[in-house]
Amino acid sequence: MKTTRLLPLAALLLAGSAFAGDHRYTLSPAYVAECGSCHVAYPPALLTAPAWATTMQGLGKHFGSDASLDAKTHREISDWLQTQASTRDKHAVSGKTPRLTESTWFHKEHLNLSLPEKTTSIAQCNACHTRAEQGDFGEGSLKSNRR
Amino acid sequence: MTVTKSLSPIAALLLASLVASAHAQAPARTPVDFQATLLAEARQANPAFKAFSAERGQTFFTATHGNDWSCSTCHTRNPAQAGAHDKTKKPIDALAPSANPRRFTDAAKVDKWFRRNCKDVLARECTAEEKGDLLTYLLTVKP
Repeated sequence: MKTTRLLPLAALLLAGSAFAGDHRYTLSPAYVAECGSCHVAYPPALLTAPAWATTMQGLGKHFGSDASLDAKTHREISDWLQTQASTRDKHAVSGKTPRLTESTWFHKEHLNLSLPEKTTSIAQCNACHTRAEQGDFGEGSLKSNRR
Repeated sequence: MTVTKSLSPIAALLLASLVASAHAQAPARTPVDFQATLLAEARQANPAFKAFSAERGQTFFTATHGNDWSCSTCHTRNPAQAGAHDKTKKPIDALAPSANPRRFTDAAKVDKWFRRNCKDVLARECTAEEKGDLLTYLLTVKP
């Protein structure tokens, strides 16, 4: 019976967003499948809830592309993002197309770094964070890009 | 009718659950199934429409249609090889069914990507005729 009672707790832990401090993020399968098919499935905890809401409302013209979803998937991913979003000011960004690369936190973390060779966009997290696709932005999987 | 009568209650139950699960899942589709559906749609839109053309499909695939992108911008001019998103550089698996058997097997995915990508390339949805020509071309591409 012990196992049965622990199960909800284990499920809660697994469903949690970032495991505090180690830069690993749990990503929902729908988010990975839909958003991660065109770009790295960015950590949802690096933008605030209003910024995610704005992003999801503009999927018809998402950074120049049509990224529209069917209503059910749209609701599922929107709801999930709202539960995972950051509540901290350092992750807040403004504007009609929120970019998590424009937050105070992002600038502070990446200030003195330049894009590695053959990398054309800062959106390519995996150029340095080699396990970005798995939601792992820990130091251990970081490829140094200091030259 | 004797067969039905001789079915044991358990067998009947199994059969019923099989039928139910078949209904619950979307039926498996093949690229040729999609081609047939598109042909019916194209003929509904234009009763005089004869047949799809791989040649027209290839021209469509590489044309920019008055905007910046063509299909081949991301999928490359050889749909049997992997491509990459033009902006994010995220890899895209090969589009030709001969090189990637998962292509054109899931109606929801086919609808979603045609809707999105046609808007990106043509700034409108594609017609059944255009989609059918494209699929007919893709089916001629060897791995």
